[in-house]
Amino acid sequence: MNIIIKYILTNMKERKVRTVVMLLSVILSSSLLFVSYSIGASYESAQQKMARGMYGKASLSVTALDDSAELDDNTVPDIPEIQAEAGLRKQAAMYSEGGYYETVDLVSSNLEQLNRINKPRMSGGGSITGFSGRQIILPDRFSSKFGISKGDTVTLRINDIPVSFEVYGIAAYDTLFLRQTRGATALVPLDVLTDIVQQTQKYSEILIEPADDVTAGELKSCLEEKLPQDLYRVSETVDEAQIAADARQKSMPFFLISFFALTMSVFIIYSSYKVITLDRLPVIGTFRSIGAEEKTVTSILLAESVVYGLTGGLIGIPVGTAILKVILHGLGDRLAQGIEIPAVITLPAISISIAAAVIVSLLSSWIPVRRAGRLPVKEVVLGTVEEKKRPVQHTVAIAAILGIISIVLPRIAPEKMLYPAGGLSLLGLIAAAILFIPSFTNLAARGMERLYGTLFGNEGMLAARNMRDNKNVTQNITLLFISISAVISISAVGNFVTSYISDVFQGAELEGFADGHMEEDFIRQVKELKGIEEVLPIHVLEDKVQGEGGSFTRLEATDNLKCYSSMFALHYSDGKESEKAVSAFGENERVMIISEDTMKKMGLTPGDKISLSDGTYTAAYRIIAGYKSRATDVEAVIPSYRAVQDFGAEGYDFLAYTAADADAVMVQIRNLFGDTPNWSRTVEEFNADAASTVSTFLQPMHSMTYFILLMAAVGIVNNLLINYMQRRRAIAMYKSAGLSGRQNVKMMLIEGVSAGLIGAAAAIAVSYMEIQTIFTVAGPKISIRPDLDIAIFLAAGAMGIVITAAGSAVPILKSRQMKLAEEIKFE
Amino acid sequence: MKEYGSIAAVEGRNITKDFMVGGTVSKVLKGISLKVMQGEFVSVMGQSGSGKSTLLYILGGLDTPTEGSVYIDGTDICSFDDAKMSRIRRQKIGFVFQFYNLIPNLNVEENIMLPLLLDGKKIRDYRGQLDHILDVVGLSDRRKHTPRQLSGGQQQRTAIARALIGSPDILFADEPTGNLDSRTGGGIMRLLEDINRDSGQTIIMVTHSQEAAESSSRIITVRDGVLA
Repeated sequence: MNIIIKYILTNMKERKVRTVVMLLSVILSSSLLFVSYSIGASYESAQQKMARGMYGKASLSVTALDDSAELDDNTVPDIPEIQAEAGLRKQAAMYSEGGYYETVDLVSSNLEQLNRINKPRMSGGGSITGFSGRQIILPDRFSSKFGISKGDTVTLRINDIPVSFEVYGIAAYDTLFLRQTRGATALVPLDVLTDIVQQTQKYSEILIEPADDVTAGELKSCLEEKLPQDLYRVSETVDEAQIAADARQKSMPFFLISFFALTMSVFIIYSSYKVITLDRLPVIGTFRSIGAEEKTVTSILLAESVVYGLTGGLIGIPVGTAILKVILHGLGDRLAQGIEIPAVITLPAISISIAAAVIVSLLSSWIPVRRAGRLPVKEVVLGTVEEKKRPVQHTVAIAAILGIISIVLPRIAPEKMLYPAGGLSLLGLIAAAILFIPSFTNLAARGMERLYGTLFGNEGMLAARNMRDNKNVTQNITLLFISISAVISISAVGNFVTSYISDVFQGAELEGFADGHMEEDFIRQVKELKGIEEVLPIHVLEDKVQGEGGSFTRLEATDNLKCYSSMFALHYSDGKESEKAVSAFGENERVMIISEDTMKKMGLTPGDKISLSDGTYTAAYRIIAGYKSRATDVEAVIPSYRAVQDFGAEGYDFLAYTAADADAVMVQIRNLFGDTPNWSRTVEEFNADAASTVSTFLQPMHSMTYFILLMAAVGIVNNLLINYMQRRRAIAMYKSAGLSGRQNVKMMLIEGVSAGLIGAAAAIAVSYMEIQTIFTVAGPKISIRPDLDIAIFLAAGAMGIVITAAGSAVPILKSRQMKLAEEIKFE
Repeated sequence: MKEYGSIAAVEGRNITKDFMVGGTVSKVLKGISLKVMQGEFVSVMGQSGSGKSTLLYILGGLDTPTEGSVYIDGTDICSFDDAKMSRIRRQKIGFVFQFYNLIPNLNVEENIMLPLLLDGKKIRDYRGQLDHILDVVGLSDRRKHTPRQLSGGQQQRTAIARALIGSPDILFADEPTGNLDSRTGGGIMRLLEDINRDSGQTIIMVTHSQEAAESSSRIITVRDGVLA
């Protein structure tokens, strides 16, 4: 056994370059897996933090159902199941500046209690002391937007009364300041709010953190027993399952990165091991000739791969931790107004990364090692081993069948099976491409031979000729295509996720909107504004209309459904339904379109008739179509005429518009509102607000793409080195026939660039199909298709070509140092 | 006794070659001087490790001496840079190796034409010469085969054809029959003899085989780094 270990270690020591490259690929893949896993977890944690926002560690909240119910520090019983509690008093306020209105939710609490559950984080660090009187703490997102600094005075309208506050300090957009809805949250001293607004209860809400080992559900049951249910409501602050599901969806790109990192790693190690075993054939022959069994040879080589895997995995963790910290640190710097993302390093992340490094090394080396172990002893000893060639037609046929299945599978899979089908499809597409690449390369090389002969002379022709039936070249191209397709897919998905989250109006035609009460005359004036193009006034019925399956939180009415559909990018469940709906709305029938989620929630289908009632009048409406839209969360839409007739809608509460200069129109609309509270924004302004957090939040994903490229570069250099190791004898042969150094450089560069071109072409095609698969799988959850940018495809392709060409430098430099006589003399 | 030209095809002067082995200097060649005249067929013999192959590679410009010089056409090639040396290999020298050293993914024709292709020549301009040389080495019917599809003897014939295609002044052969059975080896030696006799090709061959060496016009022996 000692001899075997010594043999393994000697091999690793003697072949320094190969050992370094092998280790580097294992280290990179394990660290990349570790980073993507940890970033996924960190991201999930930040998502949870963001979703929790105001609630911090509190899982439950107690509110009063009746004015007679006391809500103070004695309301919640002192029981061991409770870790901490904090009473909050809330009050809505309005901030306006230059016709620009922003809702500000004032929150006050006993700071000692609040710090235990959800300690505010001040921008400049430090804690809150001496916070009293007419003082206010504003979040930095709000203060920077309006140019407010510490010590300034801000005036808010509370119940239509102007109240001035001195800005005590600026807090990070974090903890209780973080919110999911528009507007801002500000902290004021408890006594001030009590003075300004008279209320029966001391608090509006009491937040409760359960003790360790007590679940939110257990504590809820316990409190419901102890508090009178007719006076108090105990509710869970956040839906943990929903948060986890949302976070998982948003961290999808990180796991996509892990998938590609692993695929690349498998290929790098597999191709390296193929060469290693070929290289070791004489040693294997010697072992077998002196009586070593097939499994002994296999075990020796596999043991070596375990050493690579384990060493690489162990080094990968600290390297990954460093990368993670760099990424998150960089992110922290950029997130001055954003959310602090904690670096979450978990035991599963460490174990999975090390295990993956070992398993990937072991499995990737298993096929070539086992093949070598099974070779007939005589052939190995005599050095007459020849690799069996599968007929090209078979390989192409298998590739084509696999490719077709992979393209079709996610499209025909039932919704429940979409994710496994998507995973298999991605793997299948990569496998099909790997099988297809040798034939594609041969075909391309044939074409290049003639072209290069004319363009670059005989060296060009020989370089192209050298690519035909050349396994090293096809391995290079394969590795390159996996990396480039990874970069393209990750970039495309990443950009999509960024724009998906930050640009809810994608595809919607509206360029600006106003939220506020508007009469007909107001609408007429808006229509006459300079530069305005299309105006869509909308009636809004909030919590006013009851359906048979429940009440509608928001129901809207329009007299121009065609315009409404394009303004809010409504995607009808059935394309043909939209025309029927537009026509029925035009004729003022009692029809409605209803969002798919609401239909599902209320158990309705198009064609159903439901009774709508506002408590005084009831009428039967026919559901004419279902829709999905990201630009509006309205649950149903009815004709304006019916909203006025049946439910007494007065005036309009929302207005969408398009304009040549949306900004200029917005300013004019704000002027029209005058002192009337309104929320008027251009879509661009709204998106900029959303993107400032989201794009920074997703920054790690873009950073990770560079690591994928780095891994691709290492893989390609690895392959080129292996290529060189295998080819140095061929280079020596060329040199002995008169190949000069310059000609060698020219040939290698032409070969590198050509391999890059073929790899890039394959990657562009495969990544396009991969993206289609990803979006087919994600399709039911999102209502829009990706807007693919050709620039991403071309840039990644060009980058791949540059990497391959640059990677040629290593073998070029090494072949310069070649001792010709030594290379030629020995077989 | 056959008469040879008065000009030396290749001349080595006071050639020494040192190798570092485990931190100590090993002197493989210790000041060898020799001249091979145009049209000569010289066999270099010696025991394993005597330095005969090293001498051949230095004379053929594949290796450089630690000291001394090598003259081809009266010019010292040891000072040549890579470009000049590559041109000498393409135009003045042909090499035949024990393990053939053919490019595995090029076919027979392409392997043979390699020195001309690297010299910027077009295959179509050398069709006649290629047909002739394939005829000489007896591989006309194997021209589209790759090295893997050939026997050892056929591979060595291809290597000889490649070495001769550019009509070089000197053909260097390192154990050309070393990897072949005696019958095939005999065929290769007859081919070299014919080439030397019919076209006056200068040949310098390293061999272990006394039988092969007897095909040559002169035998020199290297022993412990010097000419015996």
